[in-house]
Amino acid sequence: MLIATLFIFSIFGAQLFWVQGINASGVSAAALKERTTEALIPALRGQILDTNGVVLASSQERFTISVNQTAVCTYGTRKPKCDPATSATAVAKAAAVLSPIVKVPPDQLVPLMTGNARYNVLVKDVTPLTWRQVAAKGIPGIGVSGSDRSAVRNYPQSTTAASLVGYLYKNSEGKQRAAGIEGLENAALAGRPGVETYEQAAGGGAIPDGNSSITPAVPGHDVQLTINSNIQWYAQNALAQAVQRTEALSGTVVVQDVRTGRLLAVASYPTFDPNHVGKATGSLSNTAFTDVFEPGSTQKVITMASALSEGKVTPSTPVVIPSEMHRSDGVFHDAETHGTEYRTVAGALAESSNMGTMLVGETVPSSVLYSYMRKFGLGSLSGSKFPGESEGLLAPSDKWNGTQRYTVMYGQGLSVTAIQAAGVYQTIANGGLRMPPSLVQSIGDDSGTLVPQPLPTGIRVVSPGVANNLSQMLEGVVSAQGTAPAAQIAGYRVAGKTGTADRPGPNGHYSGKTASFIGYAPADKPQIVVAVILQKPIKGYFGGIVAAPVFHDVMTYALQELKIPPTGTTAPQLKTKLDGAPAADDPTVLRDKRQKSGG
Amino acid sequence: MPRDPRQDRPVLRTFARSDWGLFIGALGVSLVGALLVWSATAHDHGTAYLVRHLLNTAIGVGLALGVTRLSHRALRLLAPFAYAGSLLGLVAVLSPLGSTVNGSRSWIHLPAGFSVQPSEFAKVALCLGLALILAERWDRGSAPGNRDIALAWLVALLPIGLVMRQPDLGSALVLGALAFGVIAVAGAPKRWLVGVVALVAVGIAVALTTPVLSPYQRDRITAFAHPQADPQGIGYQTHQVRIAIGSGGLTGEGFRAGRQTQGGFIPFQETDFVFSVAGEELGLVGAGGLILLLGFLVVRVVIVAARAPDAFGRLLGAGVAVWLTFQVVENVGMNLGLLPVTGLPLPFVSYGGSSMFACWLAVGLVNNTHIAAGASRHTP
Repeated sequence: MLIATLFIFSIFGAQLFWVQGINASGVSAAALKERTTEALIPALRGQILDTNGVVLASSQERFTISVNQTAVCTYGTRKPKCDPATSATAVAKAAAVLSPIVKVPPDQLVPLMTGNARYNVLVKDVTPLTWRQVAAKGIPGIGVSGSDRSAVRNYPQSTTAASLVGYLYKNSEGKQRAAGIEGLENAALAGRPGVETYEQAAGGGAIPDGNSSITPAVPGHDVQLTINSNIQWYAQNALAQAVQRTEALSGTVVVQDVRTGRLLAVASYPTFDPNHVGKATGSLSNTAFTDVFEPGSTQKVITMASALSEGKVTPSTPVVIPSEMHRSDGVFHDAETHGTEYRTVAGALAESSNMGTMLVGETVPSSVLYSYMRKFGLGSLSGSKFPGESEGLLAPSDKWNGTQRYTVMYGQGLSVTAIQAAGVYQTIANGGLRMPPSLVQSIGDDSGTLVPQPLPTGIRVVSPGVANNLSQMLEGVVSAQGTAPAAQIAGYRVAGKTGTADRPGPNGHYSGKTASFIGYAPADKPQIVVAVILQKPIKGYFGGIVAAPVFHDVMTYALQELKIPPTGTTAPQLKTKLDGAPAADDPTVLRDKRQKSGG
Repeated sequence: MPRDPRQDRPVLRTFARSDWGLFIGALGVSLVGALLVWSATAHDHGTAYLVRHLLNTAIGVGLALGVTRLSHRALRLLAPFAYAGSLLGLVAVLSPLGSTVNGSRSWIHLPAGFSVQPSEFAKVALCLGLALILAERWDRGSAPGNRDIALAWLVALLPIGLVMRQPDLGSALVLGALAFGVIAVAGAPKRWLVGVVALVAVGIAVALTTPVLSPYQRDRITAFAHPQADPQGIGYQTHQVRIAIGSGGLTGEGFRAGRQTQGGFIPFQETDFVFSVAGEELGLVGAGGLILLLGFLVVRVVIVAARAPDAFGRLLGAGVAVWLTFQVVENVGMNLGLLPVTGLPLPFVSYGGSSMFACWLAVGLVNNTHIAAGASRHTP
């Protein structure tokens, strides 16, 4: 018997030696693999700030509180395991304690806490403070795990900069996507999620002494915009009022710094609340970057700039404007019918004469005109890199059909974005040097320091002299004789141009107008460009009537906000009208040479 | 009846002649068990199981001392009552008094949260009952006759049948092995023994080929024969146990640092699979040591039985030795994957009051015999 016992025990010893000694590493490795689990530690997304550090978007950590139903039923019972007799009262007691903290009625909590599930979600998106209050109650089975951490994005400015700052959303595949600045600077903002690798117990929690390693999450970097949230707020409100007052379809206000090209405000209406994107009814895209429209008369400044720059005309070159002109197979008029008028080039611009502009434009070849348009930034992306930005529609000059050769001179037959349109005036205001628009002022580095982003390289479009000539001509627009006296700002010299363009409707025919005013101040020492564009206004549609007042309000506010003093100078009075008909044989006079004599 | 002079002796002097090896060995195994049970349950229940295991051990030691204190003759007189009492308990557990846990109607819940498992005490009672019946003939110097053997099997089959009704196959096997061992030691003719072995072989063959086994018993045999068949279902337990023991290696992952144990992967680890805690956390050294310690206990019991002054003590010792051996073999065997799983505790080590008390009662019986043997050597 003794021998038999010893024999059996030695068999056990051998088996133990086989399993533990010889087979051990394989079994152990397989076991480790079976138990090892990875949990993602979400990285907190960086903030989006305005130029002064005002928060436009921030992330707040959120927890998901879960319950182990087989443990919560021991609350207050002092027993290690659930006792069916006391479970219901224990759960009810736990629910009563939790309810006021998580603000969920107890009768909703009790069903979630009753059962045999080891993991059941109890409350989602609770703040760290709430979770600390819950944890302090020490209720068994109530907890959060690493993978239950998340963050909510908060946009304190709400509708003000909604489509500009952007928002986060899940696409149809459930992957997170970002729009606006959130998308543009996603790489910097997103950070890198960390990974926690640990050995998981049968119950789902971590084994206390198990192997674990944590690759910490790297929080996203802050992004500081060039946007001034005060100007943005003002512009957004002024725009919203104007769109509502004029019953327009939509509208855009762009405020740009003249010297740097930085965008100070990009208002877009209708807007939405990025805190509740799902409920948004307005346009989710920013119209300043994505909407293209035929610019109309604001485009005339490019035609003038080309002729001036090519030395074909001066601001005082006489222009004889007939009552109508025949070009290609079309007949051209001005907005208001008139007899033959005698103006200067400056006068033709001030009164926004289409035919006057055509006579100036005809002095340069189409290809030259086209090259100036390109240099002013038309037909290509602005360089802001804003997601979804359009490059507008600008056909090359050799593709221009008969009348298009002439319509592009006064801004029909081509399309631009508000950002491009504002850029034209920034170029003139900046002495002919175009600064591509930028939105990001600085980006945080790993230490949290905001590192300024380099300015884009300027592009020389026209000489400072030509720019100065144009600027003086544009001041005439805002004079009493011009089309936009409403844009005048007391004490400041203002330069600008109205636009009232035919607007292509959905069926391709023109229907409604695009009313605009783009200008800058102070005219002799320009600092700020403001572009106001209203799409299809119904109650009034002339740029000088509906858009210029918005320009006036936004520009006045921006000058005050940026503490820009008046220059104290007076605008030069350019000669706009001729004293009478110029001599018929004067070769400097621009006139319609195709007109039948005596017409 | 004349007064036994030994009863006048101071109790302490009686205890002083105890089989200290047996006592200390059993106490040591119980304390190792306490640590293993603690480690297996601490992650969910803190020290609750540790405290209760120690309490059970203390009560068990008290029971053993009580049995030790009885005279060897009184033990013989009490045997029929113990046997009858245990049969009553086994009947009671099948009545509405009993309650079903994990598919077996093995428990009687008592007030104040206590519960007893009559099948554990039946092992003690059967040791006493068989020893009583078979000792008579032996003391008269002859081998047991057919009537004695038939009576012995009847005494054994009554509790076995009741335990099978629960159903608790593991305990029934222990009782059967116990009876076979005691009857063999009592000197039963070879044909009886061969007959029983043949019957068992036929029984196993029938069990494996016909649907007399319950579905869960079939699953256990399938899981044993094909360990990789269904590692998430019927094979889950053995798969996880194998991982635990295999992860232990030579010196183990460290006390209270076994991942399988602390992760709570092994159901019933503090009871039937407590050996896997030793395997994982203490490694080959610890698990091997535990087997050696249990082997030492069995060897001590066999030695005491061999030196017993009378047939009753010898058969008692044989019964306890077969019982403990069978249970250690089956329990360690199923932990190591050498035997199919049956719900049997590892003596002294597994958590459980009834098992602990029964084992310590057995220690008391063997110690009683040891003291009686010493007394008979000393008295001319």
